[in-house]
Amino acid sequence: MKREIPMIITFVSGMAIIIALFVPHPPFGRVEETFNNWYIIISGFTMILGLNSLLGHNLDKVKRKAEGWPYSLTLILSFFITLIWGIVSTIRTGHIFASTSTFRNYYYTYVFVPLQSTMFALLAFFIASAAYRAFRARTVNATLLLVTASIIMLTQVPKGETVMAPVLGVAALLAVWKLMSEFESAASWTAGLPYLLLSIAIVAVYLPIVEVLRTQTTAVNDWIMNVLQMGAKRGIWLGIALGGIAMGLRIIFGIEKSYLT
Amino acid sequence: MKFFEKLAKIDRRIIFVILAITIISPFLFNLTFKLTPLEESKRAFNFINSLPEGSTVIISIDYDASSMPELQPMLEAVLRHIFSRNLRVILLGHWAAGVPLGQQALEKIASEYGKVYGEDFVVLGYRPGLQAVIINMGKNIHATFDNVDYEGTPLSKLPMMSNIKTYEDVACVFGFEAGNVGEMWIQFANARYGVKVLLGCTGVVAPDLFQYRQSGQLVAIVSGLRGAADYERLAKHEAFASYGMTAQTFAHVLIVAFIIIGNIGYIFTQSKKRRSS
Amino acid sequence: MTIFEKQGGIMGLFPFIFALIVGLTGPRNVKVLDKPNDDGSAVIIEWDSASVTPAVKMISIYKIPEEMWGHGSIKVVDLLSRNTFRYVDTQVKPGKRYYYYVRFWGEGDYIDSKIVGPVVPKAEWFHKERLPMLVVLLIYGGLLAYFLKRIRKGEEVYIRPIAGLQAIDDAVGRSTEMGQPVLFILGLGYINDIATLAALSILQRVAKKTAEYESELIVPCFDPVVMTAAQEMVRSGCFEAGRPDLYNQKKVFFLTNDQFGYAAGVDGIMMRERPGAIFLMGLFFAESLILAETGHSVGAIQISGTTSITQLPFFIAATDYTLIGEEMYAASAYLSKDLHQLSTIKAEDMMKGIILATITIGVVLETILTLLGKPIPNYIKQFLEGGLWK
Repeated sequence: MKREIPMIITFVSGMAIIIALFVPHPPFGRVEETFNNWYIIISGFTMILGLNSLLGHNLDKVKRKAEGWPYSLTLILSFFITLIWGIVSTIRTGHIFASTSTFRNYYYTYVFVPLQSTMFALLAFFIASAAYRAFRARTVNATLLLVTASIIMLTQVPKGETVMAPVLGVAALLAVWKLMSEFESAASWTAGLPYLLLSIAIVAVYLPIVEVLRTQTTAVNDWIMNVLQMGAKRGIWLGIALGGIAMGLRIIFGIEKSYLT
Repeated sequence: MKFFEKLAKIDRRIIFVILAITIISPFLFNLTFKLTPLEESKRAFNFINSLPEGSTVIISIDYDASSMPELQPMLEAVLRHIFSRNLRVILLGHWAAGVPLGQQALEKIASEYGKVYGEDFVVLGYRPGLQAVIINMGKNIHATFDNVDYEGTPLSKLPMMSNIKTYEDVACVFGFEAGNVGEMWIQFANARYGVKVLLGCTGVVAPDLFQYRQSGQLVAIVSGLRGAADYERLAKHEAFASYGMTAQTFAHVLIVAFIIIGNIGYIFTQSKKRRSS
Repeated sequence: MTIFEKQGGIMGLFPFIFALIVGLTGPRNVKVLDKPNDDGSAVIIEWDSASVTPAVKMISIYKIPEEMWGHGSIKVVDLLSRNTFRYVDTQVKPGKRYYYYVRFWGEGDYIDSKIVGPVVPKAEWFHKERLPMLVVLLIYGGLLAYFLKRIRKGEEVYIRPIAGLQAIDDAVGRSTEMGQPVLFILGLGYINDIATLAALSILQRVAKKTAEYESELIVPCFDPVVMTAAQEMVRSGCFEAGRPDLYNQKKVFFLTNDQFGYAAGVDGIMMRERPGAIFLMGLFFAESLILAETGHSVGAIQISGTTSITQLPFFIAATDYTLIGEEMYAASAYLSKDLHQLSTIKAEDMMKGIILATITIGVVLETILTLLGKPIPNYIKQFLEGGLWK
């Protein structure tokens, strides 16, 4: 029964939600909202478990003077300072984020906000290093990716189109260089011919493409974002949606039992 | 060839330093570029412009300090536009740590325009529940927030709230999104109750929302720092976002330059390997 | 009751006459109807938009429940916006009769509409606009049952190799050889996110592998509910490997439920613990690249999987293997090799084929009809919009 009872509960809850989607009549229509409210209440209590885990884990490290224990101590002190300051502020001003609250005017504004902003700002640096490392013309797909990403980056910002010509010029040169290397090392003329033709095509279309990108910046950007990438995204979304339904039905009907111990 | 090998393997710390200098420079030298607002930003601006005086806009703060650099300037530009049109604002949020940011911006901009709390704007604050909050607001906004504002003042005492009971009494919802709450506004507020939804979002989230724009479920998307700069330009009040766009231009050009440098090193190194084999 | 009677005879007509003189006309074509596809808790009141002249300053809606007939009315709402032509009253009970009238206010005067009704809010037994959804679900369910039946008859199921899943064993093995722990990041999802459930099932498999190899597994969690589920997964993985002694609850812990606090904490764990293998599975948002780049900088082999489409490009650029969307959902079936679970993947593929065929046929038809200049039959569109009953 240890496995059967959770499976029955899963089945009944899952079917109730599915029925509630199609049957607005009470009591079915309210099922989703009711379950949501139960989840909110339960998740509030599980925060106690989370806090127990967080503080227990770090207190243990401090006690054992394990590697990195000063960071754990910092965490514990920060936790209690935030908690106590927040409570005191709330008692004094009636609301933790009231306009006269010291918690909001000092702690939130000068500690919390800069720390969070800094973490997000790291992304800019990591994007640069990831782009530098990953956007290499290893394959045709990788080349398409880096060219599209570069075009989007330059069309998204003001004056980006002014550097379009030199950037694409260098990219075209590199592409021609790579293609000519492939042509050189091809086994025969016929095997190397596609590379040669592609090189000529790149040289031929370079100027018109640059002109289009320079003068129709917004249109190109919008087309790539609204048509090209949206089409690809929709395909992936379709798969995700169907996969999600399949996974949900597997769990509801007890085919997937990995959540049971 | 060692030079080309080094080009393909530049230490990322060098990239970080050069990027930092590139981003800081426009702020030091006060450089701005003129930009042509994107269609989406114009659509959002025109929609707010078309609202009759006295209409109420619900502003939802669904971001926190990490997305502040992109969304706070956007929020301020939108608030300036709203108050200049003599529209009213109800501020709430689904990210507890972000609502104070919205509050700070609202109080600052409201005082610039001489707007009065309770008559021209109200802060309802944060309530947990997300979907439940959005759905319940369609039935009764007052009850959803326990009939009080964020400081505990009864909503019945705030003149502005006397005629605002559900989404039917507001002109639109303008959500500022850093996550997926925007989709909740669309799925529950727009789909169930028909309220018009506009979203201002970070650049990363915007592609997820284009499909809703195309299907007409969203009025407009104002996307990223570019959207914020566009809105500032349309509202004729250029501020942080406009300076930020210059820095972004320099940063983007630098990243593309690094990509090219990396590929130069890669291609030459690969050619050498092929020749030697 | 007519306006004349309601307004109290000749004297009561005075504001009405004055209103007419100043150009205020009454609400026309007022209709009340039961809100469709609901639980009987809403009524829609509509009026003609052309009747809202510039003289109208405010619109009020009044309701007369059946028991109050002849004894007054209840004000439902005062609408300040003159651009409203429709209101939904959600303060009604199913089965009760209600009458309504609409009042247009001018400067100190008003005109009422006729009383309309009765309207009886009804709870619907079926949400008609969701019929297309039900049809798709039934087709899908039918396909699932069909392929399940075929599997039970002994049919083989072929699933293409998924590089990310095949690399799990190698990753854990590499980490064990280097004497470094394995780090499993469940992302920022909650327990009701399917991606988190899929990630938890992968976690169980990874936990079993690490227990077999006697390697350390660290699982920092974003949500306490997910943490409790993750602890159970790791425990069951250790039990399945026959090494319950290796389960350490302290290694599956709650970190924080702040997005960038979590990213900072996990980055710290990566820099200190130097894991040999990092799994990034679940729902991720803006912090994904921070995690992936830091993981790369410590030299770990990284296997990622997410259904967050906006983060996929970052993972593809920064990690060694990426499970894209549905590949994550298929992971559990793929790794367990359970035929019943694999049959659901076949059903999924068949459903995708049906949808693709439908889209293709629709696009071709619409293109041809548009080129021919013929009207497009919209009964299909009506069906898809749930409007067959309109």
